[in-house]
Amino acid sequence: MDKQGNISRRRFLQSASGLTGATYLKLTSPALMTITQAACTAKQETSPFKVLGAREAADFAAIAARIIPTTDTPGATEAGVIHFFDNAFAANMSEQLHAARAGLAAFTAALADAHSGISALNELSEDAQDAFLKTQESSDFFGLVWQLTIFGFFAMEKYGGNKGHLSWDLIGFEGHHHGRWDYPFGYYDAQVHVEADHGE
Amino acid sequence: MANEVRFDTRKEVDFAIIGSGSAGGILAKELSTAGFSIVVLEQGPYRKAQDFTHDELSVVLRMELHGGTNEVHGQTFRDDERKVAKRPFLSPVRYARTVGGSSVHFTANFWRFRPVDFKERSLLGPISGTNFADWPISYEELEPYYTKVDWEIGVSGAPGPFDAPRSKPFPMPPMPIKSSGVLLERGAAKLGLHAQPEPHAILSQPHNGRAGCMSCGYCMWYGCETGAKSSTLAAMIPLAEASGNCEIRPLSVVTRIDTNDSGRANQVVYLDAEGNEQAQKAKAVILSANGAESARLLLMSANMRHPDGLANSSGFVGRNLMHNAHSLVNGVFEHPLNDYKGVQVSRIIHDFYESDEKRGFYGGGGIDARPLFSATPILHALEGLPPDTPRWGAQFKDTMAHDFTRQMSIVASTTSLPLDRNNITLDPESKDAWGRPAIRETYRDHPDDLATAAFLEDRCAELADAAGATKAWRYGIHPTTGGEHLLGTCRMGEDPATSVVDSKHRSHDVPNLYICDGSSFVTSGRGQPTMTIMALAFRAADHIKAAASASEI
Repeated sequence: MDKQGNISRRRFLQSASGLTGATYLKLTSPALMTITQAACTAKQETSPFKVLGAREAADFAAIAARIIPTTDTPGATEAGVIHFFDNAFAANMSEQLHAARAGLAAFTAALADAHSGISALNELSEDAQDAFLKTQESSDFFGLVWQLTIFGFFAMEKYGGNKGHLSWDLIGFEGHHHGRWDYPFGYYDAQVHVEADHGE
Repeated sequence: MANEVRFDTRKEVDFAIIGSGSAGGILAKELSTAGFSIVVLEQGPYRKAQDFTHDELSVVLRMELHGGTNEVHGQTFRDDERKVAKRPFLSPVRYARTVGGSSVHFTANFWRFRPVDFKERSLLGPISGTNFADWPISYEELEPYYTKVDWEIGVSGAPGPFDAPRSKPFPMPPMPIKSSGVLLERGAAKLGLHAQPEPHAILSQPHNGRAGCMSCGYCMWYGCETGAKSSTLAAMIPLAEASGNCEIRPLSVVTRIDTNDSGRANQVVYLDAEGNEQAQKAKAVILSANGAESARLLLMSANMRHPDGLANSSGFVGRNLMHNAHSLVNGVFEHPLNDYKGVQVSRIIHDFYESDEKRGFYGGGGIDARPLFSATPILHALEGLPPDTPRWGAQFKDTMAHDFTRQMSIVASTTSLPLDRNNITLDPESKDAWGRPAIRETYRDHPDDLATAAFLEDRCAELADAAGATKAWRYGIHPTTGGEHLLGTCRMGEDPATSVVDSKHRSHDVPNLYICDGSSFVTSGRGQPTMTIMALAFRAADHIKAAASASEI
């Protein structure tokens, strides 16, 4: 995913005063940002989707599951990012959902072209799934699914993914804590006498 | 609010202030507590401390405090005046639209300028092709107002080896050192450089009835939910409102400043929350809308008497835009820093602040260490990973899991030279959501600005190495295509042919129009402008009070 990574990095630096310039991957449409505007309520895995059909939800979820796979640690599946997708598409912009569906149709057609008799990504072995995704990673569709996966994985649980803030636990971010943090925060500041600093 | 006051738009108030940010909030407090009647027109909503959240998706990605993405603002950018400007996804000029302005969401790094910043042109000589000039005021003249900011706004810090002289000590000790600060100190010591505590517009302990910082970590881009960040929302607006002389009027989108037959400003026209046009009459107008918006509004206020825009007989309105350039090196360390906790920066290096002719180009800057991309998870996933890390798959996930707590960024911020070609104008086509001509930015860094950024990038890389990074990477030097520091577009000066306002912020052309914000800057400083914007505002308030009391406005 070099292409997207480079775009991302370039955008950051172009946006610089650098440091406060929020940066974004190339988007299928800037409208993506507004899709997520409505506050979403967290959903149980068993609850029906708001707008996604079961099959397309499974297809999106299968791609997300390779972007942040389940290994010895949890991934997009366990975080329930598909509920973030569903909430995002439900909140606004039916035309955006339309574009995503068109992208999924093209993706599925390309999959069938590459692997005859295969109609869903997760019918392939994990290695074969990844090999196929590599052929798609420069597409706008993959960029959209990639971004929704990242947002769904790491955004607040109220948006539908990041179940039990498991993504934050994964990376060591105690983001569910709201309030005071006490020093020292890490290994290196613990080595100095922070009390002396307080007393300056 | 016991003293809540509402003014009739048809009755003249003493001052209409456009913008409630770093400058406008201070001017509102200073003038209202001195007994003048004030209406502050703020385009954003009136959010208060309890309205601020830690919602990264909303604040960082959806740009909640900015008032939305560029779909709303329609801003355009080009790097050359001969080109047609395009509308990028990310707004080129970025600022918070909320009561308190960008002082609400800034990171609160808070450096004073040094004496050299005000007189570099005299010290170094001219730089051809630029509008490099001395300020009409000196550090010594501004120093009492820096001190006023320290104590009234609330600044934490400790003196450093290169600091300008100060008339009073910091009112509060610095924020405690973080792991990034410890590592920067280590690197600096090995390289013979001098790390010093970062001054912050954040309270390290209770001050003026406000609570001290609880180190939640959500400073950069977020509003402070405890009021420990020294925004004008926290420190000034409550005092202005308590005076009984100041009305903060949010969701007021100004479209022009009107002048009368004698060339004096007499009312400010704006769209109210319902989109209806209103006009607030005022004896005098103070424009503090920021270095992009103030220029846009003056250009939008062109009339028969002022065909090129208000206060623009010099043609300098909108020109000399300066963003400060930046460079950046990220490093990964063996043990967790957990640098997402607490304020962003705890140590800075100012050894390269001054320009040095031995480098072969003009410029200087400061260096700091901070979490930056490891402040929050989405930012980390989008921007924080080493360039050789795959962007998806198990290694992507595992790298995030390892690096998030172990990274820091070493960041340099630098000078920008004032140039004619870098400016704010009105886009001829694009409009914002209120139908105003969109801000069009034209910007191409002076080669010396990029050379300074590259020079400091090398220093950042050396520091990362000396600090013991197990892996470090540069983000590269790229042309500036926008920013948050909006400086120079209505510069101050004594010559009406080459400046927009005089040394007291009164516009040369319109006697009862004052302009005070980042647009007043003559040079860019080294990358942390807000302290100086606030000091200028306190100083301007004194001059405005004196002139008003003497009936000279």
